[in-house]
Amino acid sequence: MTTVVLITGTVLVVLWYLSFSATRLDRLHHRVETSWANLDGLLQRRAAIALEIARSDRADPASSLLLTAAAYQARDASIVNRSHAESGLSGALGLLQNDLTLESKPGEQELLRELSELTNKIRVAIAIHVDAVNRTRAVRQKLIFKVFRLAGRAPLPVTYEFEDDVL
Amino acid sequence: MPDKKLRIGIVCPYGWDTPGGVQAHIGDLAEYLISQGHVVSVLAPAIDENSLPPYVVSAGKPIAIPYNGAVARVLFGPIAFSRVRQWIAQGNFDLLHLHEPAIPSLSLLACWAAEGPMVGTFHAAAKRQRAIFAVGPILEPVIEKLAVRIAVSEAARHTLTEHLETDAIVIPNGIFVEKFRKGVKRPEWTGNTLGFMGRFEEPRKGLSVLLDALPVVTRFVPDVRLLVAGPGESADLMKKVDPQLRSRITFLGRLNEKDKADFLSSVSIYVAPNTGGESFGIILAEAMAAGASIVASDITAFASLLGEGKYGTLFKSEDSTDLARTLIDLLRDTQKREEIAAIGQEHSKVFDWDNVAQQIFSVYEMAMVGGEGVRLASDTRSWSRLLNREGEAQ
Repeated sequence: MTTVVLITGTVLVVLWYLSFSATRLDRLHHRVETSWANLDGLLQRRAAIALEIARSDRADPASSLLLTAAAYQARDASIVNRSHAESGLSGALGLLQNDLTLESKPGEQELLRELSELTNKIRVAIAIHVDAVNRTRAVRQKLIFKVFRLAGRAPLPVTYEFEDDVL
Repeated sequence: MPDKKLRIGIVCPYGWDTPGGVQAHIGDLAEYLISQGHVVSVLAPAIDENSLPPYVVSAGKPIAIPYNGAVARVLFGPIAFSRVRQWIAQGNFDLLHLHEPAIPSLSLLACWAAEGPMVGTFHAAAKRQRAIFAVGPILEPVIEKLAVRIAVSEAARHTLTEHLETDAIVIPNGIFVEKFRKGVKRPEWTGNTLGFMGRFEEPRKGLSVLLDALPVVTRFVPDVRLLVAGPGESADLMKKVDPQLRSRITFLGRLNEKDKADFLSSVSIYVAPNTGGESFGIILAEAMAAGASIVASDITAFASLLGEGKYGTLFKSEDSTDLARTLIDLLRDTQKREEIAAIGQEHSKVFDWDNVAQQIFSVYEMAMVGGEGVRLASDTRSWSRLLNREGEAQ
């Protein structure tokens, strides 16, 4: 009798642990997706602001050209080249920002303020996304997740190393 | 801050009635968020339910347990857990902000019970400990539910990466800079005075290091006086002090907020000889804002808060000779002392709540991406159903 109770108990605990682990992994996958969507959205907004700055009067034709090209590259980049393209845009924005902060009209100042707010948000968003990806990959390495195929058919998230100078 | 008004639930792991850094931080943050128009509810253990501010909900009486070398007033157990679940289910929160979720208390329970946007703040800094490594695997799946982790200092962040292998964003603790800036110089506290504040009976606060340095300082600066503020038995301490020094030491007892600002503005040098166990050092930020010149031990938390010596002067921790030398130098050089104080006061703006709360709020926005609010976790929901307590979980 006790054996039966023991076995049933063990099976129940194992089943609960499996369902717990599956929920845990599902939550992580979900976070990878939402954090990426968020980051992507922020980066797109940054590219849009860059284009707007490029079209403003303050930008000379050369820097305007540089900025426009960089912004389009960042928008069109495939996920593999994204980090590189975004650093390019950061560089172009950095060059221009130094000149623009000196004497600019209220409208442009507004634009620059928005840009710096956005930069702070992007920094946090990158941290969240990279953490989610690393976590998910680490958890999927564990034996129990492999043996019971708890990941199902969800693709392994790509480690998306942002270069340090992305901002 | 954006117009959207949020419903924010904050969980405090320590008893609300006992004064402490975490409680003070949560109180200030909650009041700031409320002043911005958000709805805030703080869940905390409390002994006396009637003395709580309106935004604090009691989860029951705290239990005193020894934890991490000090007595922590925490709360856990089945009854507390059901209170937490009830609070989450009824709160309809957009976001939960859990403080110290790695401590066995309410925050950990809330992190276990809830699902959705959650932010965790880690305050403590500890040395490498086997015990924390041992509980790591248990904490991991729970801590993982936090969308964003905040550490209040580099020291706290370091503790977190070392023990739980997870990174955090550093956002400092906040102070109301204006309150300290308005501190008035009181004649009885000015002159060649050294200020010390804190529970002076605790060895880690390092008052003994300062007392050892005092005889040497007296030899070079004959009119130096030491003002000690903070709770404790002064008579016990005085017995250990050299009788010749006693007349130079004044005990002020616990100071209220106004007196504290005046005290920090008046003293010639604020001394923080702490030997360790500090994660942030909020008192240094307050002293800076009040315009005090600071001399602090070079423990990690203080060194990073003082910009490695830019906003205050560091001495070798637990080295009373070095402390004496530093104090004598500064007491004799008024210009240098005032220069450092001025740089520090300017720098203290980064700790202002306006700035700090803005950073915390943008973390909230990041955590809420995905759009769902806070709800009870599915795993605890099925438990409630199994235990036939569905009504309670609703």
